[in-house]
Amino acid sequence: MNSPLPFDRRAGAAATSPLRWLLPMVLVLLFLAILIWLPWQSREMENNERQEQLIADTLWVEQTIRFQLERNEENLRTVGLDIAGGHLEGARRHARLQSLLKNGRELQRVLLLDAAGAVLDASDDTPPASAAPSPVLSAPSQAAADIARTGKHGRYSQPQPQQPGHPSGDGRAGIDLMDYHLPLFHGGRYVGSLVATYQLDTLLEDMVPWWFAQENQITLIDRDDNTLARRSSAGPGRGVYTHKRPLDLPGASVTLFTDSVKGEPRLLPNLLVGSVVALSLGLVWSLLALWRHISRRLEAEGALRQQMSFRTAMENSLVTGLRARDLEGRVTYVNPAFCQIVGYPPEEMIGKLPPMPYWAPEAMADYQLRFAGVLAGNIVPQFETIFQRADGVRVPVLIFEAPLVDNEGRQTGWMGSILDISERKRFEELNRQQQEKLETSARLATMGEIASMLAHELNQPLAAISSYTTGALNLIKRATGPVDAATLQPALEQASAQAQRAGRIIRSVHEFVKEREPQRQDIAVSTMVDSIRDLIDLQARKFSVAVLTDIPPNLPAVRADRMMIEQVLLNLSRNAIEAMQEVPVARRAMRLVASHDALQDQIRIAVIDQGHGIAADVAGRLFSPFFSTKAEGMGMGLNICRTAIEFHGGALRHDANPGGGTIFTFTLPAALKTPHPIS
Amino acid sequence: MLHIVDDEEVVRDALSWLAASRGIAARSYAGARAFLDAIAAGFDPEGDCVLLDVRMPDLNGVAVFDQLVARELTQRLPVIFLTGHGDVPMAVDTLKRGAFDFFEKPFNDNALMDRVEEGLAGSRRAGETAQVHARLATLSAREREVLDLILAGNMNKVVADKLGISMRTVEVHRAHIFDKMQVKTAVELAGLLK
Repeated sequence: MNSPLPFDRRAGAAATSPLRWLLPMVLVLLFLAILIWLPWQSREMENNERQEQLIADTLWVEQTIRFQLERNEENLRTVGLDIAGGHLEGARRHARLQSLLKNGRELQRVLLLDAAGAVLDASDDTPPASAAPSPVLSAPSQAAADIARTGKHGRYSQPQPQQPGHPSGDGRAGIDLMDYHLPLFHGGRYVGSLVATYQLDTLLEDMVPWWFAQENQITLIDRDDNTLARRSSAGPGRGVYTHKRPLDLPGASVTLFTDSVKGEPRLLPNLLVGSVVALSLGLVWSLLALWRHISRRLEAEGALRQQMSFRTAMENSLVTGLRARDLEGRVTYVNPAFCQIVGYPPEEMIGKLPPMPYWAPEAMADYQLRFAGVLAGNIVPQFETIFQRADGVRVPVLIFEAPLVDNEGRQTGWMGSILDISERKRFEELNRQQQEKLETSARLATMGEIASMLAHELNQPLAAISSYTTGALNLIKRATGPVDAATLQPALEQASAQAQRAGRIIRSVHEFVKEREPQRQDIAVSTMVDSIRDLIDLQARKFSVAVLTDIPPNLPAVRADRMMIEQVLLNLSRNAIEAMQEVPVARRAMRLVASHDALQDQIRIAVIDQGHGIAADVAGRLFSPFFSTKAEGMGMGLNICRTAIEFHGGALRHDANPGGGTIFTFTLPAALKTPHPIS
Repeated sequence: MLHIVDDEEVVRDALSWLAASRGIAARSYAGARAFLDAIAAGFDPEGDCVLLDVRMPDLNGVAVFDQLVARELTQRLPVIFLTGHGDVPMAVDTLKRGAFDFFEKPFNDNALMDRVEEGLAGSRRAGETAQVHARLATLSAREREVLDLILAGNMNKVVADKLGISMRTVEVHRAHIFDKMQVKTAVELAGLLK
């Protein structure tokens, strides 16, 4: 009712949970994809960058080489023009040739050949003898020389490994050499040619800057990919980043091939990548942990929700009112049953301090007293009181209070359960009325049983009266003279006595069946016994039972309802008399014995028979309603007797008579005052 | 003699007084046993009548009546039942079995006494009839034949002729018959046997 139910609102969200999960999952996947893609991308970029760097560097190296070669060509052409013009001779010419070598170490040697191919001069320190035979040019060099002379343009020869003993070589075998033939013309006439021999590996060593060589293996290759020269100061290339650049020399097919010593950029050692991966793993782990936590939490919430709905259902189904109060007496909780009992909606009670709206004005002092006790911390665990409903009706309630303790064991208030006992009260009242009605009907049933006997018994005195009077009349009619009064007197006296007897019987029956509320009065036992004595005697005579009473004259009076006790006495007497039907007439004696138990101030009355006694299996059910050993019995007699005796605060019990038969004994409280029998 | 059987002394006393007021001799019994004892001791029921209470503590009236039936006394001893409330069907049953009458208490006393007187008279008659039958039983076969003819109004001579015997023999038979039937004249004999 008023209980906050925070979970209700979220109950619907559980149904859309797949959707709710989708977005974070997609985001996380996207994030992971980017995380994976980024390092890859950066690696790609680095890759490209390296490649491009290599290409740029290679280009630069090629330009450098080409530039150097072209400068050498230019120098040669200058010298060649001088030589062809005949301006240079002898030592000067030799010096010029030597000076050419100084421009670059790559030039191993410069030869001046005449038109016939003989060496005129050489850059070597020791000029060859003029008689030197024509130098032995390698075949490709010779071919290049021919083409150059024909074409009148400088031309390179295809590189060729150096021949051992080759005059132009420095003696090292296997070194590739490349010749540049520059034909010299003077006035259109071929006058010779300058041949510059390049040492390719030196070319590489001199032309390629150190920083480039540090990172790459540089190779010069011919058209068949044969290595002509190689510089690999930083070790062999990895073959990952490579570039080929033809040197574009007329006549020679030489390609510059660079191969970086760097491998592909590695992925993992990368700090960025490492941290990203670590972070991703951390993220995934924490997501999983969160997910586990959430699912556990959802589970707990589900269980809690179930508990809550269970509790709510329980509270709603309760007919017992529940009310919680804090330590100041403020109402913090009421359940529907409580609202129903007091007839107020919860919002009119929650948070209220006493006096509460359901306190009945007449019992206000009572409530205040009890509430003061609550504030002092001591309460009555169970009590009955009255609530006033909203419509003014008073409701009797039974309240149980117990301390309300929070999860830390601290008392936070009081929890009370309130039972509406008006039903119970009404039922008790109904029960009481029922019991009284039952007693009445049982009394009437008892009467019914003895009614026929009463008719018989009443017939006796009536018949006697009739006979006496008829006889008297007969005498009077038949008499011829005056009738002797002495003759009639005994008959008329008898008739009168019988009329009185009949009247007494009728009066006692009338008294007995009269219905009324129980009235307690002080009454002597003897008075009650006397008033039913005629009824007892009727039965006793029928079964030839002698009735003996033993009631002390100084017996205190009892405080009792006369009719009820008389009925009990009559019932017990009747049972006693009927119990002796089967025993010999000599033993048929019933005794009514009364005594005073001074210790407990009780009057004890015993009805003693000498009949068949009570069998063990019967004894247990003796007082049960509707149990009877008699064919025509209703089984109400002893039950009602006991109820009647207990109504007076006494007890009814039965014992075996040591002399055979049964003793029924009941006790009644003695009257407070001195006995004054009512008669 | 009226026999009053009732366990109530008052009733017995009252009925005796009533009977006495009508000039009827009565005898009281305090219970069924007392009455049956008296019967067993042997008494002449002729001219007697019984007033029998149905409800008695020792033995009820019907049981007493059954014993009377068993002793074949009911023909000569009229039994009038005095019943209480509710005993009527039982009383009617006894009537069918030979009871003289029944009265429900409280009863009209003089009407009861009238019936008692009728009962007494009936009883007396029944006694006389029984005596006549007993006397007839003492007659011989020839005497019965003679008696029948005499009752038919025949003179001695006619009787002698019809039977083929002498007048003298008829007169002897006639004297024996009168003697056995304890009568003096033929008229008296006819009155006895009518």
